[in-house]
This record gives sequence, structure tokens and C-alpha cells, in this order.
Amino acid sequence: MAPGLRKFVLSAHITVSVGWIGAVMAYIALDLWGARARDGEALRSAYLGMDLIARNVIVPLALASVLTGLVVSLATKWGLFRHYWVAISFVMTVIATVVLLIETRTIGALAEIAADPTTSVEVLRALPSTLVHSIGGTVVLLVVLVLNMYKPQGMTRYGWRKQQQERLRRQEQREAVLQS
Amino acid sequence: MGDWPRDQTTKPPTPRWVKVFAIIAVVVVLLVAVALVTGLGGPGQHGPGRHSLGGGVTEEQTLPGDGSGGYVPPPGPPDHDG
Repeated sequence: MAPGLRKFVLSAHITVSVGWIGAVMAYIALDLWGARARDGEALRSAYLGMDLIARNVIVPLALASVLTGLVVSLATKWGLFRHYWVAISFVMTVIATVVLLIETRTIGALAEIAADPTTSVEVLRALPSTLVHSIGGTVVLLVVLVLNMYKPQGMTRYGWRKQQQERLRRQEQREAVLQS
Repeated sequence: MGDWPRDQTTKPPTPRWVKVFAIIAVVVVLLVAVALVTGLGGPGQHGPGRHSLGGGVTEEQTLPGDGSGGYVPPPGPPDHDG
């Protein structure tokens, strides 16, 4: 991949990944507010806002993060499964995205109940919180962020094998040049 | 990359941080599994049923008292994709 394009994709990956964390923070703010609210209108707006953020901001950012992450890793020397930190980051991001997609359906169902004008305040107060998932997801994203920043050492068996193959190929090329 | 082995013929051992990471992951998975099986956190707080549409809103939760709370359960899965 050309250096300019690589930097562009990397910039996009950082932007959507950090944006994902920021959007989840905004979601948690609404989640916390909804968990403490006793007023019916506040509860309604909290669930509707959570649904809006989850579907229109968090999900697109999560999918974009997985996609750009794949491109960045596969199109560079890092690879997807050559280094432990890349492989673990990828697996954690995919798991977080799958849980998010499942949870988004639950959030949508809660928002639909909250949007119904006939739903009573008692019912709104009894709606379950999604804090466990949102806080758990944030922890996962922060762990991935730290892994990506520090890039801890460690090559997988697959990565080491590929490295050996490349080294052997370069050596053969050198010998071929010397013999010619 | 600074993690290339000095001895290039043998694969370097798995780093300690990866082992610690794996242990933490196994513990977290077990805790989640136990929470799902035992229903810790109360009904509707967590679990596979909660992920189904409306699954987190049990009848007991949504219809307090005599159950008349004014709440009419949605007739079917809402379509958020359309």
C-alpha cells in the first residue's frame, strides 16, 4: 500500500475507533441519567436518545472500525494474525461489535416501549438498564486502545513462520544475484 | 519491530503478557457463563433472553400491581432496519 494511502486509512481507523469510544461515553451519560430519572418524560427521552446514538453513531463507527482495522493490518507489515497484540485487538473488537449489534436490538425494543405514549411511568421505571453492556464495552475498547498504543512484543506461531519464509526468500534472492 | 528473536531458527516463547491476558479472558468468560446460568443480577438484568426483542421486559416488570399499568406489549419484533 502506498504510504499516503496507508496514512489515510490509518487516520480513518484512529478517527472512527476513538469516535466509537466517545460515542459510547455519550451513551453511558444517557444510560446513567435514565437509570436515576424518576420523571416519565426524562425516562422516555433517555431511552430514545440511547437508541438514536446506538443505531446512528455507535454501530456505524464500530463497523467502520472493524473494516479500517482489517485494511490497516492486512495491507501493512503487521498482518492480522502475525502479532499477538493485533490478533487480540481484532478478536476483542469483533466480539464488542457482535455484542453491540445484539444489544442494539434490545435498546431498540426498549426505545419502542418508551416511545409509546400509553406506556406508564411505572413501566418506564421498570425497564432494564443497559449499563452492564455499555460499561463492559467501554472497558474492552480501552483495552484495545492500550494494546494499539503500546504494541507489546510477541509474534504468533503463524507470524514467526511467515517471517522465516520471507527471510529464506530474501536469502535465496541474494544468492541468486551473487551467482549471476 | 523489536520482537524478532535473536535465534532465528526457533520460535520465541509466548510472552508473559499474552498468558496473563488469556487467563483473564478465561476468568471473564467463566464469570459471564456463571452469571448467565445462575441468573445473577436478577431476571431481565442479563442473559440471552434479554437480548431477544422485548425479552428484558418481563411481564412482572412491566405490569406492576394488578398488571393493568396501561402497558400494551408490542405485537411483534420492531423493524429498526427499515
